[in-house]
Amino acid sequence: MTMTESQFYPKKIYIEKQSLSFPLTKKILKKARQVPVEVIKNSSELIERLNASRDPVSEGKELLLLTRQSGEFVKPCPCTPHHIGCNYFIINSAMNCPLNCTYCILQHYLTNPLVTVFVNTDDLWNQLDLFLSRQRKRILRIGTGELTDSLALDHITEHSQECISYFKKKTHVLFEIKTKTVNIGNILKAKPAENIIVAWSLNSPIIARDEEKGCPSIEERIAASRILALKGFRVAFHFDPLILYPGWEEGYAWTVHRLFREVPVSQIAWISLGSFRFPPDLKPIIKKRFPATQIIYEEFIRGKDGKYRYFKPHRLKQYKTIMDFIKKGRGGAVPIYLCMESRNIWKEVLNKKPKGKETVETLISLPFGSIR
Amino acid sequence: MQSATIPIKSLFLDDERFRISYFFSLDKLIQSLKHIGLVQPPIVAHRGGHTILVSGWKRVMACREISLSPLPVFVLEEEDDLKAFEVPLFENLAAREMSLLEKAEIVLRLKKFGEGEETIVKRYFPLLAIPPTLQSMDTYLSIAEFAPQIKKFIHDKNMTLVTAQLISELNPLERNLVIPLLEPFGQNKQRELLEGLLELSRKRRIPVEKLISSQKIQGVLSSEKLSPLQKSDQIRELLHRNMAPAVHAWKDTLDSTLKKLRWPREIVVSPSPYFEDNDLEIKFSAKSASDFQKKLSKLEDLAAKDDFPGIFPPYDDD
Repeated sequence: MTMTESQFYPKKIYIEKQSLSFPLTKKILKKARQVPVEVIKNSSELIERLNASRDPVSEGKELLLLTRQSGEFVKPCPCTPHHIGCNYFIINSAMNCPLNCTYCILQHYLTNPLVTVFVNTDDLWNQLDLFLSRQRKRILRIGTGELTDSLALDHITEHSQECISYFKKKTHVLFEIKTKTVNIGNILKAKPAENIIVAWSLNSPIIARDEEKGCPSIEERIAASRILALKGFRVAFHFDPLILYPGWEEGYAWTVHRLFREVPVSQIAWISLGSFRFPPDLKPIIKKRFPATQIIYEEFIRGKDGKYRYFKPHRLKQYKTIMDFIKKGRGGAVPIYLCMESRNIWKEVLNKKPKGKETVETLISLPFGSIR
Repeated sequence: MQSATIPIKSLFLDDERFRISYFFSLDKLIQSLKHIGLVQPPIVAHRGGHTILVSGWKRVMACREISLSPLPVFVLEEEDDLKAFEVPLFENLAAREMSLLEKAEIVLRLKKFGEGEETIVKRYFPLLAIPPTLQSMDTYLSIAEFAPQIKKFIHDKNMTLVTAQLISELNPLERNLVIPLLEPFGQNKQRELLEGLLELSRKRRIPVEKLISSQKIQGVLSSEKLSPLQKSDQIRELLHRNMAPAVHAWKDTLDSTLKKLRWPREIVVSPSPYFEDNDLEIKFSAKSASDFQKKLSKLEDLAAKDDFPGIFPPYDDD
């Protein structure tokens, strides 16, 4: 199933008994009324059963769990040790994703393989109120697309609408919705606001086709972003992970060209670049789940954070090439940052030497300084 | 269970349906049998007109070796193989740790005796200290299907599950080709060589069999000057170079620049791991103040040479 053919509906919805009465649970059940439902006492047995299967990741992608977030909804993005972060915060209102990208870190990172929505949203807003009241002295960047795709479930959760109406009043916050889908129906119903940014992960068309199974094509993603940009929304783009393969230059040139042809540069809030990186434990999972993929057999080194990365000269070449494409595409003035890279790569690619994550945060949010 | 005494020859040992251990040394047990006799009777059962062994293979083999007969035995009346198999299984589980191959045999037998996959995973895997997943089951089943010579190699080399898993990714012919290459290595290098072969095979989209028959690898293998360890090491290095050509090219360039500069061995130059940083570590020890001065001035001479900047990675300075 791709998001272009149809929106995601799970094969079955599991609801923890204690989550039955939440309004979001009721909304989801109404929106997905054709999907079989099972009420369970708690999810641990289900998760254990699923984890015992031959491919828990694939099986989990077809099931939806409605439960409560008992921990914190808002957390700092963990970034990676020994690399420059960007002071980003993440909202974990859902986790896992029905899309099936070869390189997805969640395959290894999460112990619960089910697509999961945390339905106790009142707790989310309360926690956010408290969190944001403590962060008044700076422009804060926060988003929902870290442990899930922000819009993959939006047609049944309508979470984007609630987030937009909450955050548009918080003018010291840049709220980012991050997606690979074209599920923008609910966003189109909202009014644009300066501090609401809808971001797409982009890649070369070949990587999107071969390694981002279930995702819309690059044309479709850019077309969706154009619709929102023309409606007045700020949009952003993440070229992450950048992947080396024979012909990568043409592939990424095509995407960058298409992006700047379709989307007014004035509406682009930022662009990030991130080279393909992954923890060693992800490799056997990728090998098993995607036996035809070639992307894990390039020349990798073990970075200072223990993750596999491309050899530095190769990373540099790819970053610099794509930066050239962006500059040629009139994107030179757009704030650009590198995700999880070292200071010397920043210097060579962007001619910037961020002292730390605060510098990066300032770089990205500077154009928004006036909204404070 | 009834006790009985039977001549050792009456045991039908060709029926190995309950056997889980294949590789063991009998020396100590023979010594013990000679000294105190058979203390713990083996367990037997009747199947298809034969008396077959359920538990005590090592004891029976040792008795046979020293022609100890008749043997005291317990006769298991259970006719269901799955239930009967629980006897040697729990008897062994209570007494000792199971090896990788024994675990694989147990999983295979449980499956053959009709135990359901979920029950095997839920009930037996925790007892065997195997992660309770169907993925683990597939891994152990594939190991149980290895040819006897491969199993013997795994036993002799005390191979880890991860390495055995890598072997399972090879076809039977490739396994036979790879075993001699692994023979001289310890666990880490075995794993490295296997990973190198499998990854290069996937990267180039050619079978491991073809990789091994390549001119370069065959050149190493046919060398009369190299020991088996040197051959395996050279092949490992070859695979490394093929998987990481750029890193090796950089290392080679650094080495050749140092050679050109006639860099003294006692001053050690180390780039940052994988040339991630611009920094080079230059290290030497000094016996005395004059030795220290001597080395410093040597470094000054080296730094004045045209080739000297070539030892640094060609990145922009910070």
